[in-house]
Amino acid sequence: MKPRVVILLVVAKPLYWLILLVSVWVLLRGHHEPGGGFIGGLIAVSATVLWAVAHNTTAARHRLPLRDPVWLAASGVLLALLSGVPGWLSGQAYLTHLWLSVLPAWPDLSVSTVMLFDAGVYLGVWGALSGYSLALLAVDENGQENGEEHGRDR
Amino acid sequence: MGAFSLIWPLLFTLIPLSTFIAISWALFNHALPWQFTWVWVAALDVELAFRVDGLSALMLLMITGIGLAVFVYTGGYLADHPARKRAYLLLTLFLIAMAGSVTADHLLVLFMFWEGTSLLSFLLVGFYHERESSRKSAQQSLLVTGSGGLILLAGFILLGEAVGSYRLSGIIATLPDIPQTHTLHLAMLLILVGAFTKSAQIPFHFWLPNAMSAPTPVSAYLHSATMVKLGVYLLARLDPGFGDWVIWELLLKGVGSVTAAWGMILTLRERDLKRILAWSTVATLGTLVVLVGLRSENASVAVGLLLLAHALYKAPLFFVAGNIDHCTGTRQLDRLGGLRRQMPWTALAALLAAASMAGLPLSFGFVAKEVIMDAKSAGDVFLFARIANTVFGIIAVAVAGTTAIRVFWLHPPAEAIHKVHECGPALLMPPLILALVGIGLGIFPFMAQDLIAAAAAAMHPSMVDQPLNLSLNLQSAWAALGMSLLLGTLVFLLWDKLHIGLEWMDARLGRISVVSVYERSLDWIPLVAAAITRRLQHGILPVYVATLLGSVTFVLGAGLWLGRTDTVWPAWEAPSAGVVSACCLIILGAIATALIRDRLVLLLANGLIGYGSAILFLFLGSPDLAYTQFTVETIFVIVVAAILLKLKRLEMGNSVAEPRWRPMAALLAATVASVLTLLLLMVYGATFNPQLSEYFGHNSVVAAHGRNVVNVILVDFRAMDTLGEISVVMLSLLAALPLLRALRLKPAGGQA
Repeated sequence: MKPRVVILLVVAKPLYWLILLVSVWVLLRGHHEPGGGFIGGLIAVSATVLWAVAHNTTAARHRLPLRDPVWLAASGVLLALLSGVPGWLSGQAYLTHLWLSVLPAWPDLSVSTVMLFDAGVYLGVWGALSGYSLALLAVDENGQENGEEHGRDR
Repeated sequence: MGAFSLIWPLLFTLIPLSTFIAISWALFNHALPWQFTWVWVAALDVELAFRVDGLSALMLLMITGIGLAVFVYTGGYLADHPARKRAYLLLTLFLIAMAGSVTADHLLVLFMFWEGTSLLSFLLVGFYHERESSRKSAQQSLLVTGSGGLILLAGFILLGEAVGSYRLSGIIATLPDIPQTHTLHLAMLLILVGAFTKSAQIPFHFWLPNAMSAPTPVSAYLHSATMVKLGVYLLARLDPGFGDWVIWELLLKGVGSVTAAWGMILTLRERDLKRILAWSTVATLGTLVVLVGLRSENASVAVGLLLLAHALYKAPLFFVAGNIDHCTGTRQLDRLGGLRRQMPWTALAALLAAASMAGLPLSFGFVAKEVIMDAKSAGDVFLFARIANTVFGIIAVAVAGTTAIRVFWLHPPAEAIHKVHECGPALLMPPLILALVGIGLGIFPFMAQDLIAAAAAAMHPSMVDQPLNLSLNLQSAWAALGMSLLLGTLVFLLWDKLHIGLEWMDARLGRISVVSVYERSLDWIPLVAAAITRRLQHGILPVYVATLLGSVTFVLGAGLWLGRTDTVWPAWEAPSAGVVSACCLIILGAIATALIRDRLVLLLANGLIGYGSAILFLFLGSPDLAYTQFTVETIFVIVVAAILLKLKRLEMGNSVAEPRWRPMAALLAATVASVLTLLLLMVYGATFNPQLSEYFGHNSVVAAHGRNVVNVILVDFRAMDTLGEISVVMLSLLAALPLLRALRLKPAGGQA
């Protein structure tokens, strides 16, 4: 049995959400300030890795949206793919981004297909690198856990 | 259950049925040729260009018409097979690929569909993939036709570049008027090789009989009626362009004649009904190639007639062989006989189709044979081709007799099978109807007249305005037929004796035959690959790293030496405290990494270098990069630490057991570092082209509404690249997961 560190277990939960919050903040500010989907996704991966170290990789995997890194990564790529369609449908080149101001009084707050694209990058990076990290971290977990988990994967 | 199992075959059968009706209707109402063009890759000038002329129309009618029969037959033949839907799906895709191949007017589009047919042939030959022989045959047919396709592509590109256009119709029109350069000769030879592999000409003939491990409807469709004719189609299509070239004519006549004669002789060696039919198909393809090579107008008519006649008699004969296989469980000649009592309708279909194959009067085969004789009696046929044709005619009669008379009428041998029943209507209708069409066209040949004339006009443009008159002329052909009929009957009666003789010959010649050369070269591939892999993939990590660094440094150094510019030593400016501390961190980490032996501490020291670089980026004005570096470094250290801990628990060494001082490693490190420094100095000396950064800086807010230029480039200006990157990352994960899973399970099993 892997030795558990009590302090890490206790701190893990608030820290997990805090890191995710930071990652989303980094994602959203990315268009104007340093940040963006790639970095945000990487920070989210660190939250997942933290959970895997504190608990185990199975628990970390089930914490992910869609409960599976491959599905998460695939949904990200799909979102990025779809974000180009509106521009294409409106007669411009594929992946030409469109903007829509929500409040005329506040022009900085706008929704756009760029945001969808960046969110796709975020989810793609989060899913793919979590997949790698969790699979590698799982090497250090003991056999019984693995067998059980392996069966569940199928 | 019964109703349900009928739905899919019926739905799929609608595809060839509707296309057949649509094409017939269109042929009746619209004049040829039809053309369609859609822009595909505008930047490369590749258009989805299609053109349907007489030859294409003939091929299309065969593809959909025989396809209809095949789809119906498949419903009966694979009635209880669990993967029947897969067969239908593949057959439908094949139909589309075939239709595309015979109508494409752009060389690259034609190539695409052509390779599609090879690929689908591979999948269909390997349909019974649980049998090793099927897998082997499928691999063989793919290797031969697929690599032939690649050679064809090379020929197409040479041809397209030499002529300056990839439009097939345009190339054929201009070819006779341009000088015969070496490039064009090479292109022609490559295209010939491609067409010969597809149409199983010597020396690429061996894959076709082996492809008979496919289900019978597939053999009837792909390997007799349509796909193997694609090579002939391409030759016929290019003939107006290359027809006047001496090499073209010689090669077509020579290779075709040898294939026709040799294929027919090898027929006698076989005992398996389907393989007998396959060898005779090879021989027919040879005859078709000879006919394409002949210059006379009659030869073009003969190509059209033989294409159609062969499809109309060979497909039913394959169906007959399939029925026999289906209802008796064997296709071996030695175990079959007297089947006419139990399988009367199959016997009738066999008789009608065989009559056409033997070229008996009142069959379409007779009409074809007549025109072929006319074409060959023209002056430009050399003696060898005539002999080949005679051999072909004689053995065709014998094969027809064997498939129709021997198995149905002669007395069954001692070990014959007795539990036999007639097949259902789905297995009887296709061969009967196709054979009847063959006979019908034989009695009323004028019904096919317009179609054949249009096809011939496509091969021989001067024929456009000449009406073709196909009518029944019994007197002239009787004489010529008499001899081949007589000799054919003789071969038929002596079949078993000839068989023994050929077996004896085969045992002597086996080692130098093309098949054994192919087999041996196939054996070499894994041997060579294994030798190379053992050399390169030795599994010693330090040597991998040294190889990588060494070769990169060498290439980089050589490049720098060739394109050397002045190095400029930058002016000294006082660095900020942040930069100094970052550099200290990096240097400290590097020294520690070189000295420390414990793996975990080594990892942490290594992490210092990463953090140091991140701080450096932060202070040098690229915060995005710094963030990324920080996060990546952290995750990397944690993940690698987990692996190291695992290794520690498995007691696979706690520290690096290497000498502290390794002169060669130090030398390599010093070289890498100096080459990189040199590169930096040269970059510093080069004048910086600010065009791109100015553009991005200027347009970032205006065009893309974002102030973070790095992010705007990632998600907007270069969004396509980013999309590609995240897709690659995801795909790499998909590929890596099974490997990582295996890694995780193995030590666990070892521990237990």
